[in-house]
Amino acid sequence: MINVRMICRIMGFLLYIEAGILTVCSCFGYAFHETDMLPFLWSALATAVVGGILSFVGRNAERRLGRRDGYFIVVVAWILFSIFGMLPFLISGYISNVTDAFFETMSGFTTTGATILKDVEILPHGLMFWRCLTQWIGGLGIVFFTIAVLPVFGVGGMKLFAAEATGTSYQKISPRIEVTARWIWSIYLLLTLVEIGLLCLAGMNWFDSVCHALATTATGGFSNCNASVAAFHSPLIEYIIMAFMFLSGVNFTLLYFSLFRFDFRKLWRNTEVRYYIFIVLFLGTFIGLGLFFTSPFTFEESFRQAFFQVISVLTTTGFETAEFHRWTQLLWACLPLIMFFGACSGSTSGGIKCIRLAIMVKATRNQFRRILHPNAVLPIRISGQVISQDIRSAVLGFTFVYIFIVACAWFLLIAFGIHYRDSFGLVMCCISNVGAALGVDGPISDLGSISVAAKWLCSFLMLIGRLELFSVLLLLSPTFWTKR
Amino acid sequence: MKVIIAGAGAVGTHLAKMLSGERHSITLIDESEERLMKLSSNFDLLTVKDSPTSIFALKNAGVEDADLFVAVMPEESRNITACMFANNLGAKKTVARIDNPEYLIPKNADFLKTLGIHSLIYPEMLAARELLDAIRTTWLRQWWEFCGGTLVLIGTKMRENSQILNVPLSELGDSDIPFHVVAIRRGNETIIPGGRDMLRENDMAYFTTPKEHVPGIRTLVGKDHYPEMRNVFIMGGSRIAVRVSQYAPESMRIKIIEKDLERCQWLTEKCDDDTLIINGDGSDMDFLREEDIKNAQAFVALTGNSETNILACLAAKQLGAGKTVAEVENMDYISMADSMDISTIINKKKIAASCIYQMMLDADVENVKCLTFANADVAEFVVKEGAYITKHPIKSMGLPKGITIGGMLRNDKGMLVTGATQIQAGDHVVVFCLENMIGKAERFFR
Repeated sequence: MINVRMICRIMGFLLYIEAGILTVCSCFGYAFHETDMLPFLWSALATAVVGGILSFVGRNAERRLGRRDGYFIVVVAWILFSIFGMLPFLISGYISNVTDAFFETMSGFTTTGATILKDVEILPHGLMFWRCLTQWIGGLGIVFFTIAVLPVFGVGGMKLFAAEATGTSYQKISPRIEVTARWIWSIYLLLTLVEIGLLCLAGMNWFDSVCHALATTATGGFSNCNASVAAFHSPLIEYIIMAFMFLSGVNFTLLYFSLFRFDFRKLWRNTEVRYYIFIVLFLGTFIGLGLFFTSPFTFEESFRQAFFQVISVLTTTGFETAEFHRWTQLLWACLPLIMFFGACSGSTSGGIKCIRLAIMVKATRNQFRRILHPNAVLPIRISGQVISQDIRSAVLGFTFVYIFIVACAWFLLIAFGIHYRDSFGLVMCCISNVGAALGVDGPISDLGSISVAAKWLCSFLMLIGRLELFSVLLLLSPTFWTKR
Repeated sequence: MKVIIAGAGAVGTHLAKMLSGERHSITLIDESEERLMKLSSNFDLLTVKDSPTSIFALKNAGVEDADLFVAVMPEESRNITACMFANNLGAKKTVARIDNPEYLIPKNADFLKTLGIHSLIYPEMLAARELLDAIRTTWLRQWWEFCGGTLVLIGTKMRENSQILNVPLSELGDSDIPFHVVAIRRGNETIIPGGRDMLRENDMAYFTTPKEHVPGIRTLVGKDHYPEMRNVFIMGGSRIAVRVSQYAPESMRIKIIEKDLERCQWLTEKCDDDTLIINGDGSDMDFLREEDIKNAQAFVALTGNSETNILACLAAKQLGAGKTVAEVENMDYISMADSMDISTIINKKKIAASCIYQMMLDADVENVKCLTFANADVAEFVVKEGAYITKHPIKSMGLPKGITIGGMLRNDKGMLVTGATQIQAGDHVVVFCLENMIGKAERFFR
């Protein structure tokens, strides 16, 4: 069965890292002379102590990680990180109960970006930074982050990585997983730094730039302003954020080949990227034209709003620049649809990912051809490669489970007393990690008012959405725990 | 000329037989005693029973003074190894049979040369090209571009509605459409025609003509009502089938029918989306009807079994397929298949051997094509200064019977040759002659 000691040891390491990050955040409290310095230090201390206990338990662990251990570690790591990550909110008193604090932190780590806070602008700088930083770390995955920073997993790294990675398959850059992780994180860091610079130049203050850049490249969507990006009233800022949301929705491995090896052909020939670009262009143009003809906006304004919203929702970021609930029903109805799609695999976005969409579209087309030619052997080609039958069935299974969970969760939320249209928006926003919940009256701004059970359900949805269902569901299945 | 052939498989054997008839000194290396025995007792050649990648065996075969080393074993990597060894041990020129289109990319040629591999031969690709030439159009059986693509050789079966039947060829020269009949295949006999010969019904006639006049020939032979080539059935998912699907023009829709499901999966990885791969038996008539064989302009049988291919073609023809092409590896069946009204026969060995044969001939001969139906060779010569042929016009030259000039390229312009034409030095002349007469023809151009 699972190697408990080794798991404790690794969890201990992970908590040390979180303690370190919390300490960094306390610096903001110190620098801005605000009340959140001590809460951060206390949280860091608590985290470090628990981490110490865990690594003490696992000090003589057998250095072996099985497949089960990998899945267990990844899922539990995300939950533990959220539990300790909520401490600053609780200790500082800005969020008073555990349910809300856990929801907020989970929403951060899973890059959902839904908030229960009515007014985020009253938060001290340290907490604001912490919210955005959780998204940035969660963007490419907590364990993946650890692999890049510290080589604590040794040979087991690949198993952990497989449990956390998104999409159907993963292309390695280097034979060693640490090196791959470091390259991917360098791209991530590079994107973030460039965006910080550009946002500063565009007139945002440096603190807001940092926070927004972290939230953009993670496709998270936490903003320091109640009105999200719309608060800045600057088309330039919107364009910058739009561009970086789009880039963060592309597979990071492909970005690596384009940016560091100047191999743009790989990017261009990639079926998934083509689907992604096509959806953005098609829906952006459609909504843009729709807005231009149905609303008082100018041409530029309607297209800017349309593309910003489409990219924001497709990459599952969830930034808002427009009151899209005021749009014609037909136009905003496109948004929940693309929430379901998500951007590319291997990026920071959520949803079912364009690659699965592409596979399903092709499988459906083949189904029609099969009626005419019953004996035909019809391959599905993604980026020129024929994908195996296993992946095909995995994709169909994934999509089925995804829709099934959406239906169940929708039903449960209705049972918890939420209006059926709001609850659908909420389910989609959580499971796809979007964060901008589409309700009857536009984005549900007042998530704080939903019931406790609903909040826990939403937190759970965010987690399984981020870890692509099966990692979490596997832990809940009896087969995982039977000795075999 | 001393030639060493490594591998006594189909291609190697055929090549050895062909060359030993021409007084070259041939050494054949193969591991199988059995295969060598059959050859050494019947043909004039030396055999070495050993692995062609053994250094000792290569030395034993006298590789140090070999003019040409040909590696035609089934495994590509062994061929390459053998060629590298042979070249480093002294062989002047090496030819390797390959199975990977990547090696044929021109920028890799220099790299391969440094390794000691001078020429490559890819029989599947050559066969696919030949096959496509045969089914390019519905009314043609042969299509071959030469003289830089300005002239074409076309082969077509004469049907009764043709305007040029039963007229001596010398009287046909007056028509507006320039063409030259270079070979006629009548029954089992190949004729290189003179002025008094005429075309008869059911003759296979080979014309040379400038490319732009091909539609004119189509009218002359009365085949205007033939449909365009759109649907092609290929039975058997061989490597040739994969190449065909890759080189086929976009207007051609290809269906590959393969019995083995695993092979089908392999095919899906090799072919692109335009090719439809169907798991089924191509000799099952109901299955073919269901897949709408009636609308297929061509049916190509490429399974490993010659008999199956011939029979499948006959069945397809009965079901209404336009043209039929069969891969026949058994040499004795070729003439038989011809009499059975199968449009084109593809023979990988013959194609590969003629390609290697061409490499052997002097550099003056640029291109030799082995016409499978007519037992004729085609060679392209560059005329040398002071060659005998430059001294008189063609009609007073007295070319021997069995040799005719199909066309020539002068100053990058393709033209046909008439009796009054005076050949000049520097012209590229394309000569058609009966099998084994190339040597005789060569004398005129030196």
